[in-house]
Amino acid sequence: MRRVAIVGYAQTQHQFDMQKTREDMVFEVVKEALSHAGITRGEVDTVVTASTDFLDGRTISSVFLSMAVGAYLKDESKTEEDGTSAAWYAFMRILSGVHDVALVEAHTQGSTFNPHQVSFYTLDPLFDRQIGVLNDVSAAAIQARMYMSSYGVSEEEIAMVSVKNLSNAAKNPFAQRRMPDLTVEEVLGSKLYYHPIRELMMSPISDGACALVLASEEKAKEITDTPVWIEGVGVCQDFYLRDRNLLELDSLRKAAKDAYEMAGIRDPYAELDVFEVSEKFAHEELMIYEALGLCRRGKGKVLLERGATEKGGEIPVNPSGGALAADPVCATGLVRMVEAAKQIRGEAGEYQIPGVRRALAHGQFGMCAQKNWVFILGGEG
Amino acid sequence: MPYLKEERPETLGVEGEWNIGAYTWKANRLLEEFVEGLKQRKLVGSLCFGCGKVIVPPRNLCGRCHRKMEGRVVVSDVGTVTCFIISPPIKRGKIKVLGMDPVEQGLIQEDEVIIPVFVKFDGADSNLGTLLIGADPKEVHIGMRVRAVWAKETRGELSDLEGVEPLR
Repeated sequence: MRRVAIVGYAQTQHQFDMQKTREDMVFEVVKEALSHAGITRGEVDTVVTASTDFLDGRTISSVFLSMAVGAYLKDESKTEEDGTSAAWYAFMRILSGVHDVALVEAHTQGSTFNPHQVSFYTLDPLFDRQIGVLNDVSAAAIQARMYMSSYGVSEEEIAMVSVKNLSNAAKNPFAQRRMPDLTVEEVLGSKLYYHPIRELMMSPISDGACALVLASEEKAKEITDTPVWIEGVGVCQDFYLRDRNLLELDSLRKAAKDAYEMAGIRDPYAELDVFEVSEKFAHEELMIYEALGLCRRGKGKVLLERGATEKGGEIPVNPSGGALAADPVCATGLVRMVEAAKQIRGEAGEYQIPGVRRALAHGQFGMCAQKNWVFILGGEG
Repeated sequence: MPYLKEERPETLGVEGEWNIGAYTWKANRLLEEFVEGLKQRKLVGSLCFGCGKVIVPPRNLCGRCHRKMEGRVVVSDVGTVTCFIISPPIKRGKIKVLGMDPVEQGLIQEDEVIIPVFVKFDGADSNLGTLLIGADPKEVHIGMRVRAVWAKETRGELSDLEGVEPLR
């Protein structure tokens, strides 16, 4: 099989109500990713983007961004959902042997249309929408309550995830929420939405975009001395809300298993140096530890309490701040890939984890992480 | 197959009030520059310093060059019809063209046709969609020379440009 590498990337400074049109935002991030890779638009064979028409507020929304994303008179396609789906698709397009260089882009401007309202539209229209109070936040609250009562997890322990990630984000210039001195009390004192979900336990509404450049082995070596290889990929989706055991992230567990197998990883705790995951709610990060096989079911809080997932811990999770620090919905998983690649290339600045050789990046979409993508990235060696 | 709503007396539906939500977008400031030009009876376009193309109404990006179109130019209000459509007879209150009802506006009588046209104004490299006014549908043709028709009072709105008329 061909090898494929990440050879360039860029992200915006994620923020609420960015003073830029979607088109300008996308144009600038794409320009920057191409320049980071040191290539021109002419060298790109295929362009793959990710967003949802619901979030963009137009049908076939990629049509309106074709010029911004550099796809004018080029092979172009759009995937829905998270940007990791676009990366996954672009990866396969290169594996096919037809293309050598792919540009991947994903974005959302949450300030133009509340993503939580969009989540309402993903519900079954005739039954679940009519309940009126069902949306991604209340569904997450249902899941958090199940998790807390099944495994004896407290609100304080969930708040500790927010404290870890948002204080990590203080060192990340691209993050939206940068809170170096945040305390558990402040998290528990933040606005209550659906109990136990509070403002600082859920991701913020963000405007942002992310782009990366993928290349086949031969091309990657021409473009850069420090390619970041895609060593493993896993993708899996679960049943719809009502048919699913919300206590488990089964689809993530399966996606991770596939990605580990492809990358030849048997012990992720020992073999991976850093994890960038899309925890849209604080309790999800604990569930993600378990689904990624880093600990047994219900023991996520032990990893956190032990400090294993802190920046200085054995398995740092979200040194960038993760999705709790910025969530430009469709770009969020792609940002995780960029952050993981930065760690491997030693470009993470003040939140660099020393000696990263292999990293995991995770993207999700749908209520309670219904669909998941896992990428294993690795440096040369 | 029926094309108009009133030809479908029955469809699938459920009585009641349903929340369908609403969207917002961030406005492109180029629209402001364009309507500001219309207020002064000028057609403002964007100029790409990469390839020299002029786009009217202005656009922010040049897809060919993958760069921002940084130049602004005013093009002629005389141009050429590049394509056209002849509508079915128009009823009052049925359609809006650039925010105006052509019957209400007195541009046509009820049951007359409208002629949407694409016009390439002299100095522009792109087409602008508008209405052909005061022309016999039989005389409209591709290549027809036309001139902009401005509202009596311009307000900085898209409807300041009411359409184009044959250049005689």
